Amino acid sequence: MNERRIIPIAPAGRGLDSPLPLPQRPQLSAPPPLALYVHFPWCVRKCPYCDFNSHTVRGEGSPLPEAEWLQAVVADLEASLPQVWGRRVHSIFIGGGTPSLLSAAGLDTLLTAIRMRLPLDPLAEITLEANPGTVEAARFRDYRAAGINRLSLGIQSFDDAMLGRLGRIHGGDEARRAIEIAQASFERVNLDLMYALPEQSLAQALADLETALAFGTGHLSCYHLTMEPNTPFGHSPPPVPDEDAAADMQDAIESRLAAAGFEHYETSAFARPNQHSRHNLNYWSFGDYLGIGPGAHGKLSSHEGIVREMRHKHPARYLEGAAKGDFVQERREVGVEELPFEFMMNTLRLTGGFQTSLFASRTGLPLAAVAAELKQAQARGLLEVGSDFIRPTERGRHFLNDLLQLFLKD
Amino acid sequence: MQHIRNFSIIAHIDHGKSTLADRLIQYCGGLSEREMESQVLDSMDLERERGITIKAQTAALHYRARDGQVYNLNLIDTPGHVDFSYEVSRSLAACEGALLVVDASQGVEAQTVANCYTALEQDVEVVPVLNKIDLPAADPENARGEIEDVIGVDASEAILCSAKTGLGIEEVLEAIVARVPAPKGDTQAPLKALIIDSWFDNYVGVVMLVRVVDGQLRPKDKIQFMSSGLQYLCEQVGVFTPKSVGREQLSAGEVGFIIAGIKELEAAKVGDTITLAGKPAAEPLPGFKEIKPQVFAGLYPVESSEYDQLRDSLEKLRLNDASLQFEPEVSQALGFGFRCGFLGLLHMDIVQERLEREFDMDLITTAPTVVYEVVLNSGETIRIENPAKLPDTGKVAEIREPIITATIFLPQDYVGPVITLCNLKRGVQVDMRYHGRQVQLIYDLPMNEVVMDFFDKLKSVSRGYASLDYEFKEYRTADLVKLDLLVGGEKVDALSVIVHRASAQYRGRELASKLRELIPRQMFDVAVQAAIGSHIVARETIKALRKNVLAKCYGGDITRKKKLLEKQKEGKKRMKQVGNVEIPQEAFLAVLRVDDNK
Repeated sequence: MNERRIIPIAPAGRGLDSPLPLPQRPQLSAPPPLALYVHFPWCVRKCPYCDFNSHTVRGEGSPLPEAEWLQAVVADLEASLPQVWGRRVHSIFIGGGTPSLLSAAGLDTLLTAIRMRLPLDPLAEITLEANPGTVEAARFRDYRAAGINRLSLGIQSFDDAMLGRLGRIHGGDEARRAIEIAQASFERVNLDLMYALPEQSLAQALADLETALAFGTGHLSCYHLTMEPNTPFGHSPPPVPDEDAAADMQDAIESRLAAAGFEHYETSAFARPNQHSRHNLNYWSFGDYLGIGPGAHGKLSSHEGIVREMRHKHPARYLEGAAKGDFVQERREVGVEELPFEFMMNTLRLTGGFQTSLFASRTGLPLAAVAAELKQAQARGLLEVGSDFIRPTERGRHFLNDLLQLFLKD
Repeated sequence: MQHIRNFSIIAHIDHGKSTLADRLIQYCGGLSEREMESQVLDSMDLERERGITIKAQTAALHYRARDGQVYNLNLIDTPGHVDFSYEVSRSLAACEGALLVVDASQGVEAQTVANCYTALEQDVEVVPVLNKIDLPAADPENARGEIEDVIGVDASEAILCSAKTGLGIEEVLEAIVARVPAPKGDTQAPLKALIIDSWFDNYVGVVMLVRVVDGQLRPKDKIQFMSSGLQYLCEQVGVFTPKSVGREQLSAGEVGFIIAGIKELEAAKVGDTITLAGKPAAEPLPGFKEIKPQVFAGLYPVESSEYDQLRDSLEKLRLNDASLQFEPEVSQALGFGFRCGFLGLLHMDIVQERLEREFDMDLITTAPTVVYEVVLNSGETIRIENPAKLPDTGKVAEIREPIITATIFLPQDYVGPVITLCNLKRGVQVDMRYHGRQVQLIYDLPMNEVVMDFFDKLKSVSRGYASLDYEFKEYRTADLVKLDLLVGGEKVDALSVIVHRASAQYRGRELASKLRELIPRQMFDVAVQAAIGSHIVARETIKALRKNVLAKCYGGDITRKKKLLEKQKEGKKRMKQVGNVEIPQEAFLAVLRVDDNK
């Protein structure tokens, strides 16, 4: 891993427009920063809009298989170590499902196990996704003690009627209380909000935002509710605001947050100075991450190339395989022809785009490989190419899908 | 010759022609039970499905009559649709008699009448047969009355039968023997054989179905087509039983096939006369016409890479369909395709369906158009088969459009709405007659109105009870204009239509508003306009899309979002680019499929 490789330079005389023959595999000069993702797959109830890998516990009142999950995840980590040997971990994110269903003791066991096996940056950001319910809020302090230093609360809305339509199990008052409790223990709290909810008006969407702002939190994620296939909402969509009304909401939310001193640094993420989500920024700058737990995705670079893997998706299957050391459901090398798109798909979500040199260091390919696409994107007013940075224009941010499609290989 | 009877069957679609033909063949033992496939004469899949006969075929039957003699009955099948009236007339010209089959539960329909008149004009003996008398709704008395009243044929001796049950089949055969005259002809005279039909066979080349009027023909004879003078060596003659059976010769009065090593179907035109090169007839049989396409449309492959495949498919179709014409055409909006000429709308439908079904082509078909005669200021007259090709109005002295005479049969309950429809379509009433519960309307109608949406409208205002037959009458000067559609300021050539000035604005509005609904919102506002020359008659705006972003890119999993973007991109690739605007195929298809969702 310590060996340095030299990035090949395009042969002289080759115009930027002529397609450059891509190297067989990416030539990475150094591994990118590493993050760890841990997936906890269970929820009390599955929300009708959610297409994440989440499952309800079978049988009412039956206990979560927390101990089995812990054991399996630790074994998963153990088995993955050779792939990330010697690399420092800069952030951890425990997501789900509803990981706040974990006991504080269980979480402590997990974080201890991670610290024992991986060199963790002393200032590592360790985020837990939490549901703003009463039961969970009671555990927030102990989570802090276990080492969690950032909490991400799935508030979605403060409006009981909206929450009901979204199938959430918490109410508006519970949400408010949960934020207060969270802020007492955590300096860094993110609130997830959704807009363009069924029958929601612009005023209602802004009211949710005002309530969230009143807590003075440093990070907000505002998502447009989308109908995902294979979800109840996908099958029978509720009456949501039309495209134009949703766009009005988005514009209003963005300008309100700008006025409140938030930087809109990614499609759906807003932060006060120095409050950005480091873990997510690592995804968006095409960093590496090891993903453990059911259905977790990982992306790892080595001198042999860039590999994506996914753990067994179904919790039962994952737990069953753990005993035999069988965790990985899918593993594949990302071809050099896919890398430019994958890089852009992440980095162009960022308002600031990326430093030009990042492309070569993360993909191991010369930037000339996408010269034609960059030129086309510029010509369509979607991309700004500076001397040492490349970033989406405002139009490019609004039409990010059109921008990204330019980098898709036919 | 006294034991030969040549006859065909005249019937409206669904009145049981094919079933009756099957029964006659079966009765005479033309096919064994095993070979007996229902409706054997309709050999193409499509025909069986649509229940119509496209290519005329024939069957030579041996019938032992009650008088103890064996008769040779030649059944000559006729196409049953308005687009093929010329073929029908040639089939009838080859006969001495025709069975007029009328559904006893429904009565006379327009095409039956038209075909029956064609038969009577050619002195063909018409034998009325009332079919489907097994149905509870059968009303033979009424049907008999209509035949006499509408067609003017004595129906007192009409034969009652049911082709389905087999009832009355022997009576039908007896009537053919007794009432259809035996052919007259001189076996010693120079050969005159009428081409009833011709088609291409992969193994032997062109096969011609002929009726020998005078003379004799044997293999090794040198034959000559009287319209073109082309000569070929006759290789084989025979008859269809309906299986093909070789014969040593065909003589005056007989119906059979000729194979002469011909590669091009166009050489063997329906209605032409074949004679012997060594001993030619003095003059050909009357009635031969070069048939010309009446309806034109552009056919484009949905995938532009399938252009060559489309050409190959069209060429294969033309092997068996001399009336199909096509030539390459380029549209800015649709790319490379072909301008195709058809006998009529049904013919066009059939070709389209065969291309899609047998050749697996995905097609975009532009709105069908008729052929206009355009007189230029220079005095020159040109024929326009594609609205986009109409010269600038400044150069045009006048435009003439084809007028047809349409005969419509319908129950009197629907007379009001049908007359309204005809007037709306610029029709001029020629005649209206009541025949019992049926009404016969005769209108002169501009053909472009008919190809637009007349059939569909007629069907809907009469709840499917009206039947229509038409024939070309003349070209007439009319106040016609070209209506263009512009998307984002760019003319979409494939959507141009020629319409009457009076309806241009209405039609322009209709098309523009339909396009507005069908074109997805883009990254910018898009104007949809309808224009006559530089004069805009309608305008709609497709408001710009505000955003196209995926809100959440879930942590590590990029695969699903990537798939979604790939799908979006794939969708765009299937769109046609007009200027900056991406127009989905569906938009073309829906606009071109005029009015049907109204």
